[in-house]
Amino acid sequence: MRIIIAGAGEVGYHIAGRLALENKDVLVIDKNAEAIRRVAETLDVQTLVGSGSSPAVLEEAGIKEAEILLAVTNSDEANLVACLVADMLSPSTKKLARMRAAEFDDYHDTFREKAPHIETVINPEIEVVRTIERLMDVPGAVDVGEFADGLIKFVGIYLDPQSPLAGIRLADLPSHIIGERRLLIAAVVRDEELIIPRGHDRLEGGDLVYCISEEDRLLETLSIFDKHAEAVKRVLIIGGGRLGYRLARKLEERSIYAKIVEKDANRCTVLAESLNKTVVLHGDGSDQGLLSEENIADIDVVVTLTGDEETNILSSLLSRRMGAGKAITKISKFSYFPLMTAIGIEQVVSTRLSAINSILQHIRRGKVLSAISLKGEQAEAIEAVALETSDIVDKPLKKIHFPKGAIIAAIIRQQQIIIPTGDSVIEPGDRIIIFAQRKAISAIEKILSVKLEYF
Amino acid sequence: MHWRYLLYVVGNLIICFGATMLVPLVVCLIYRDGGSRSILISMAITIACGIGLFLAFRKARQSRLTQREGMAIVAVGWAAIGLFGALPFYFDGPQWRFVDALFESVSGFSTTGASILTDIEALSKGLLLWRSFIQWLGGMGIIVLSIAILPFLGVGGMQLYKAEVPSPVPDKLKPRIRETAVILWKVYAIFTAAEVFFLLIGGMPLFDALCHAFTTLPTGGFSTQNGSIAQYNNLYFDWVITIFMILAGINFSLHFQLIRGKPLVFWKDPECRFFLGAVLLLTAVVSWDCWGTIYAEMGEAIRFGAFQVASIITTTGYVTFDYEKWPALSQLILLMCMFVGASAGSTGGGMKCLRVILCIKFCYKELFGMVHPRAVTTVKLGGQTVSEDVMRSVLGFLALFIGLFAVSTILLAAAGVDFITALGAVAASIGNVGPGFGAVGPVGNYAQIPVLGKWLLIWCMLLGRLEIYTMLILLMPTFWRK
Repeated sequence: MRIIIAGAGEVGYHIAGRLALENKDVLVIDKNAEAIRRVAETLDVQTLVGSGSSPAVLEEAGIKEAEILLAVTNSDEANLVACLVADMLSPSTKKLARMRAAEFDDYHDTFREKAPHIETVINPEIEVVRTIERLMDVPGAVDVGEFADGLIKFVGIYLDPQSPLAGIRLADLPSHIIGERRLLIAAVVRDEELIIPRGHDRLEGGDLVYCISEEDRLLETLSIFDKHAEAVKRVLIIGGGRLGYRLARKLEERSIYAKIVEKDANRCTVLAESLNKTVVLHGDGSDQGLLSEENIADIDVVVTLTGDEETNILSSLLSRRMGAGKAITKISKFSYFPLMTAIGIEQVVSTRLSAINSILQHIRRGKVLSAISLKGEQAEAIEAVALETSDIVDKPLKKIHFPKGAIIAAIIRQQQIIIPTGDSVIEPGDRIIIFAQRKAISAIEKILSVKLEYF
Repeated sequence: MHWRYLLYVVGNLIICFGATMLVPLVVCLIYRDGGSRSILISMAITIACGIGLFLAFRKARQSRLTQREGMAIVAVGWAAIGLFGALPFYFDGPQWRFVDALFESVSGFSTTGASILTDIEALSKGLLLWRSFIQWLGGMGIIVLSIAILPFLGVGGMQLYKAEVPSPVPDKLKPRIRETAVILWKVYAIFTAAEVFFLLIGGMPLFDALCHAFTTLPTGGFSTQNGSIAQYNNLYFDWVITIFMILAGINFSLHFQLIRGKPLVFWKDPECRFFLGAVLLLTAVVSWDCWGTIYAEMGEAIRFGAFQVASIITTTGYVTFDYEKWPALSQLILLMCMFVGASAGSTGGGMKCLRVILCIKFCYKELFGMVHPRAVTTVKLGGQTVSEDVMRSVLGFLALFIGLFAVSTILLAAAGVDFITALGAVAASIGNVGPGFGAVGPVGNYAQIPVLGKWLLIWCMLLGRLEIYTMLILLMPTFWRK
């Protein structure tokens, strides 16, 4: 499978690295020779210096043999043109463009459906705002994802060392849970490593536990972890850029009281003009005086969305210390992720990670509906439709040769979650949710795709 | 620096290398001329050492290699393989001193083709094949071969590849480094098979044809005959080998493109044009120079001239005529050829045509800048701008090459070698050519060089093959500091 990536920025670089590790043929194009050198030196991919929207460059990159073109340069226009040019040269290639400008927002679906030369438009910012909302709604969660159009959620929660669940075996779990509630644990991250737990494995304090639940039973599930829902009433947004604006608009729709802090006076004016109920404050988000003036201790959620990640980290830490309920921090540099738990920042969003997730979903073979990377890119949660012709349907799970390091966490049949056992049978058309370590992903793809590809 | 991982990779390398000793072993068993004992012992020692390293460090896995780790692995790997490759010679009999066995082995792997043997034909068939076979392994690169074979080297393989491939700007032909390595070896093997075929047609015995193809394609130059190719005195062989030497001196990624159906690549590539042009021009000059003085007929002058020019500029080192009998002009042209060398990305040695071209263009740019002080100029090659980094590394390389040549010559003379011989021996070793001038000339050999001098030349050969930086960096104190 040959994939061409135009743009060797952070997103292009990480997608290329991911795909190269999965044994795909990747070629990266960028105008900047320095960026290309970084890619060539650290990743096992082919590189080309040039503009991704130039027909000659695309031709040289072998666009005709390519299955997918990802246009993820910094410029929306360049991405559009790259897809357009690629379409003229090779109509059969699947083309994905990243578009970030808010002007395109309302036309997002139009683009996706009407523009013949672009398979999908990806706007990571929409996805990030969605993630922030989910993180706000789910108490205690550090990672939230959705499957089956929101019917099913998967949440990542840190297990308190004091929790009654710490130290018990998974097989004994049901006897420790009072009442009707049930808990389905799909994966555990311990010391930066993803474990697919079995019955005899024990939970430990400090584990990041990933569990799956129907949406209407989510709060019950969370109460097992002693996390109880608190209504979000007051939100403080630090950073009034595109993301801050987008989030403020969403909060207005939900009638949540929001304040937004922005450093740049002109931008404040723009924000004040276009937002109705939100309070726009001119000032520095890391200014202690300003925070206490605005009663930071009464704020339920602080969201730091400035363009500078160090500011975001510091503002989040500061507001947590001054009594804010929780803080959601935007971070772009992947190298910072492992540090976050150590310094006490748990809820993190990233435009780049969101972009990668949306892109992965389109790259996966088989009928994959969504693909979400779990903490630190070590593993992926994949939601897919079991095709009639694939290897996994119509026989008991124990007879399926399933790759090591992967687990079918749930089967969804007509809006019902089935927790699979060895005797469960997947029927054609079922949606299945798979948790897989990175090394198992290519094997999973093989299982999901049809035996003889005919569509 | 991750020592454990380095030793783990080298262990893997040595195991694979030990396995290749099966080839001469089979030949020994076919001919039953007594060489099998030494090869069996060497193979056992090699594989045992490899497995020892492998087991001791099997837990050391790494996901990424830095540039300096890549260089260290390649340098240590080459030193280890030179050492283990010497074992079959060393165990052959008491006439082999250790330094001689090592010299022969490193000369083989580095595709130099300098020999300390006075009577080559006395060797057993197995060892003769081993001599040729190690040149074949070293030509395209033992590391590149391992990248193709060992899947785990794919991670960080680019760093290893860069440290071994003789080019300032290595090409990546395919998205994955492993596929690139496989393709290079495939092209290499196809060309070798083609040469065997053509030599067989002309009536060369199969064993000789194999051995010579194994040493032509890597531009090595070991022969199975005491008198090199001259011993056959066959017009057809001369021309077949001349053509294959020239092909081996061209960048192998161009061959790959040619096979994929781009007939004009040789002409479009500026370096290849330069290289082929140089071969033609120098052949013409040498033939003209020798015609009437040494050779009575023009055909003869062209035949010997072309063969010798191709042999020296590609740094193969076969001999069809004692070129020290030629006029001074022709001899000096050959000496210059030793320095220029073949194309980057080929199996040949020397400074490489690409660097020479870039250096000339750079000098022109400097002069131009003096006439037009405000002119903004860049060095371009084939319509593409050459980056400052590449230019700097090229100039640094040329300075180091000449500097090391000068220092080594003086050291060799200090070891008690005469003027012309010292000059020729160092030029032929650092350029991976083989025959030099004086006592180590086309009819001489390296047996008479003092022991210290041999160690120096072993070092020079490795320097030349790994393009100086990779080896020289081992001498830097900062390289070893944590």
